[in-house]
Amino acid sequence: MAGLVTGESIVNPDTMFTNNNINVIIDRVETVNREDKTVSLSDGKKIAYDKLILSTGSSPFLLPIPGNDLEGVFTLRALVDAEKVRAYIDTKAPKKALFIGAGFLNLEVATLLKKSNPDFYEMTVVEVLDHPLGLMLDTEMAGTVQTYLEEKGLTMCMGEKVIEIFGTDGHVSGVKFESGKTVETDMVFMNVGSRPNLELATAAGLEMGQFGIKANEFMETSDPDVFAGGDCIDNFHFITKESTPIQLRGPAVIQGRLIAKRLAGFDLPFPGLLGNSAVKLFEKNISATGFTEEQAKLNGFTPVCATVDSVSKHSMIPGVLPWTLKLVFDKESQKLLGGQIISDAEGPLKEIDTINALILGEKKIADLVMLMCAGNPDCASEPSKEPITIAAEQALQKARK
Amino acid sequence: MKKGENLVIVGCGGVGAPAAMLSRKLMPEVNITLIRAEDRFIVR
Repeated sequence: MAGLVTGESIVNPDTMFTNNNINVIIDRVETVNREDKTVSLSDGKKIAYDKLILSTGSSPFLLPIPGNDLEGVFTLRALVDAEKVRAYIDTKAPKKALFIGAGFLNLEVATLLKKSNPDFYEMTVVEVLDHPLGLMLDTEMAGTVQTYLEEKGLTMCMGEKVIEIFGTDGHVSGVKFESGKTVETDMVFMNVGSRPNLELATAAGLEMGQFGIKANEFMETSDPDVFAGGDCIDNFHFITKESTPIQLRGPAVIQGRLIAKRLAGFDLPFPGLLGNSAVKLFEKNISATGFTEEQAKLNGFTPVCATVDSVSKHSMIPGVLPWTLKLVFDKESQKLLGGQIISDAEGPLKEIDTINALILGEKKIADLVMLMCAGNPDCASEPSKEPITIAAEQALQKARK
Repeated sequence: MKKGENLVIVGCGGVGAPAAMLSRKLMPEVNITLIRAEDRFIVR
């Protein structure tokens, strides 16, 4: 969408499959016929299966507000959506862009476009919550991101709700907030989540859960010959074991590979989602996993938290950059519940995977104070500034009170 | 799955494509058909 590469350069050719003796059909599946174990294509042809995998994904959720169908209103999900945006930018040269939703998708688009022509674009981000990246960061962590984005020239309207998109001659020209305020714009990005594509599964009579197709930890649906995974299923959270609307590509890939293993005879249960996510906004690298402090409270925990500032290299090495880690523990069980990272360097971003592994291992505060990280002056903080250990030490003291 | 059985995968995103590729590795004698509506797909 930034115009840096062509669409073709980021897709894999079908030869990746056909060279591996995988038959590829480009068509729409109209029905799943579970009685005769076939799927019907749009041309009426039937394909027989012994085992079926449904990975129908999800579609962007369009807020049901006036003007959501005006020219210049975009959602972003697939390559074709990005190409539509690119074509619009190339032909209409919009100067003002407004983003409904301050999640990572919208913020990445906003920063990409702003970086491409900083003095030209006027960007406004509108979010109904009181801070950006509400699913990833707590208020105080997000506050530093918001300040940073404002310094980069984005107008951040937090705690505001768009109730109408208005236009001229069928083309978007502005939005109206619930507070009565209006903002002029030449284009609108509406990325406020997505909804699972359930038409096939519903028509086939598969059992549904709270957020999608009901599937067990082996990705098996209510029909033992039909598997499902990804955005279209009723996923469950690792910590609570309850249904969660989290939809991310990372766990979808793992679930797809898990289905293959199950079909090949391995009995490996899926552990549940933690919502691992990462985003790069200008030069800020942000990642998160598990519960934020606010989410922990909402789920009935009494969180104990610690926030630690660290550095990307040993302090005497040129190019050292700051980063911040926040860890969230449960006071009662002392288990790690979540982590958040904001870093000026790229390297620390992936420490979130360590946090993720520690949560999956159900590690406690006492385990983390013993964490001994690999270190090198050029690519890691001094051992004395390793923030996971330091955060755990702070939590250890807080939890004793 | 057994030799000669048919695995059909609907959708070629985060789940479908990895499921197809690993199924081929783990079950070389199973017939695999991948069906998608889109002309192009992204595997990252």
